[in-house]
Amino acid sequence: MSEPGGPVLDIRAVSKTYPGGVEAVRNVSLQVERGELLALAGESGCGKTTVLKMINRLEDASGGSIVYEGRDVAGLDPVKLRREIGWVMQGDGLFPHLTVRENVAIIPRLLGWEAADIRDRTDEMLDLVQLPPSDYAGRHPGELSGGQRQRVGFARALAGKPDLILMDEPFSALDPITRDTLQQEFRALQAELGFSAVMVTHDMAEALIMADQIAVMLDGEIIQQGTPSELLEHPATDYVSGLLETPRRQMRAIRELGA
Amino acid sequence: MNANFAERLAELPHFLSAHVVLSVTAILTGIALSVPLGIHAAQRPKLAAVTLNVASVIQTIPGLALLALMVPLLGGTIGYLPAFVALMLYSVLPILRNTIVGLQGIEPQIREAARGIGLTDRDRLWQIELPLALPVIVAGLRTATVWVVGSATLATPVGATSLGNYIFAGLQTRNWLSVLFGCVFAAGLAIVLDQAIRLLEIAARDRRRGMAMGVGVFLAALVAVSVAPRFVSFDGSDPAQGPLGEAAAARSIAGERVVVGAKAYTEQYILGALMERRLAAAGARVDRRDNLGSTIAFDALRTGEIDAYVDFTGTIWATVMNRPEPIDRYVMFTEMSAWLWQEHGIVTLGRLGYENAYGFAMRRDAAEALEVDSLDDLAPLAGDLVIGGDPEVFARAEWTATRDAYGLGPMETRTMDNTFLYSAVRDGQVDVITAYTTDGRIAAFDLAVLDDPLAVLPPYDAVILLSPEAAQRPGLAEALAPLIGAIDAQTMREANRRVDLGDQTPAQAAAWLDARISSRTGPEEP
Repeated sequence: MSEPGGPVLDIRAVSKTYPGGVEAVRNVSLQVERGELLALAGESGCGKTTVLKMINRLEDASGGSIVYEGRDVAGLDPVKLRREIGWVMQGDGLFPHLTVRENVAIIPRLLGWEAADIRDRTDEMLDLVQLPPSDYAGRHPGELSGGQRQRVGFARALAGKPDLILMDEPFSALDPITRDTLQQEFRALQAELGFSAVMVTHDMAEALIMADQIAVMLDGEIIQQGTPSELLEHPATDYVSGLLETPRRQMRAIRELGA
Repeated sequence: MNANFAERLAELPHFLSAHVVLSVTAILTGIALSVPLGIHAAQRPKLAAVTLNVASVIQTIPGLALLALMVPLLGGTIGYLPAFVALMLYSVLPILRNTIVGLQGIEPQIREAARGIGLTDRDRLWQIELPLALPVIVAGLRTATVWVVGSATLATPVGATSLGNYIFAGLQTRNWLSVLFGCVFAAGLAIVLDQAIRLLEIAARDRRRGMAMGVGVFLAALVAVSVAPRFVSFDGSDPAQGPLGEAAAARSIAGERVVVGAKAYTEQYILGALMERRLAAAGARVDRRDNLGSTIAFDALRTGEIDAYVDFTGTIWATVMNRPEPIDRYVMFTEMSAWLWQEHGIVTLGRLGYENAYGFAMRRDAAEALEVDSLDDLAPLAGDLVIGGDPEVFARAEWTATRDAYGLGPMETRTMDNTFLYSAVRDGQVDVITAYTTDGRIAAFDLAVLDDPLAVLPPYDAVILLSPEAAQRPGLAEALAPLIGAIDAQTMREANRRVDLGDQTPAQAAAWLDARISSRTGPEEP
């Protein structure tokens, strides 16, 4: 079924029309290669989150197809699909009544793992996101800082050994220093574990720093797709240039300071 | 006072256990109904609005009215069932509302995270939403518990035993210790159950299994102890047996269960206790259903929920047969007996010998000052007078007939419990009252009963009525027969006075009455 060497995710001419005729997404095609991070960038309302939610079927596409590991997601059980794919959302989305360990363990538990395996896996994940289980496993989310909660969110998404992680503005609620640290740690994790990721962001600098591929969306359509350097060198439209202007200006300012 | 305290204490196991069983079953059923309904409605805003409105309407019905309504709605059944249904309905609103509010109050982000990581709807409900809504649901449960335990005291008039028996009986017999018993134990039970639920919630939140087990064992023990008497043969008869020789006389009802009913005032308690003594002497196991509402008592007899009670010819005539016109005493008795037998198979065992009529009474000095001797004399003064009556009198045909015959329409009417009527007229808070002519307080407070020259007021001869089923048991009629014609008005008034103004309990007054009847050579002919 899965084609080794083929893309992890192949989005083919997908569209989404809501009842009432609002077209949120029009004819979007994207590919995510194994181990890569694709950033969906654009302003709020451009349709990027809708594309993300169609991948694990939190929303169903109105047209086109989405192929994950060689299988059309339309033919898969949504719950099983979601358990195979990691999900990280803005502002952590942790369950406040469960401890850190229980939050991380929830998917392995639903997948029916042995208790000892679940324990080993949660310890491993917490170590990986630098929250030593001896200190953190028994705490509740309310007792953690924003950055620590987001780390738990990553640990939870990775606990079920997914090939693909979907992230909706995962860093936007964090302060700049924490955000920078976590962005770098996430890339390190990805390099270590080899999973692929799709990240929705409105922050162009974040997309440039983290992504292997960037797709810029406007009014439900992709207006340019490419690597960060391709975008910087050849912005397709004035709109893309405009989005890139802020990070460019910041880079120039910093370079002048360092000179 | 000590005898009173001992007697109240002896009633406690019976009343408290019945109260526990009634409230706990009502609350548990309420939970079983409201929580699933709340879960279902939480995701359906329209359904949520409809169910909450229905529950709110039920809640606005006063507790006593809801309980009373259940009797006709359940086809005249009295006792546990109507009380259970009414209290269960009462518990629905707080639990339902808090289940809906608790579930709707969960942040959408948490719900989306649960979906996004692959929880099924069922997992999401049980592992995320219900635990998060639990504190709110439990708060509703605690409210419901306090309401139900409190309202269960109102179950007494529909024939369900509860701690309310203390309160209703105490109010009627001016036995404030009894009222206090009811209040203290009802409040205590509410507090204990409320705290038990609170501890269960803490145990659930902090996963303290030991604590949860402890509270669970306590609650289970409380219910088990309360239910136990229902499965053990429970002899509810008066422990103090009268010095009677009749025990040998009765044979056929020995060991059988007989249920004696009584309405909610002193004279009825005494007569209920008297019948209990006679039946117990004949070897029957007697259950008492005190404090029944007037028409509820009749319905209960008709359906066989109770076997016997004392009613009055005029009451049956006016409120059951719906015959407004007054009629000669003996004709009324005969017609009523025939009608009861033909319509319902109810047997009128006979007249006790006294009449307890509605009369209109004033302070003797006030009546003299106003030169009032009879109801005729009241008409010119009617606009300036206030008349007090018990809760049912102003709704009865006798009042309308009297009012219209004597032109009493302009009088201001004021309703209060029978207990307070006599002191209200004595203290000048009202000018005239509707009085029972056998009440001991008429003489004690020096009240004058006004004449009825037009003979508008029907006769009220006290009669023992037997249910259709009880009528088939000759031993039962035999045990009660010596009471027929044995109680004159003066004797009844004295027995009432002993309770209302002395410090005797109805059981003590019944013992006195019993001894007095037995000491006579035989029943007097009316």
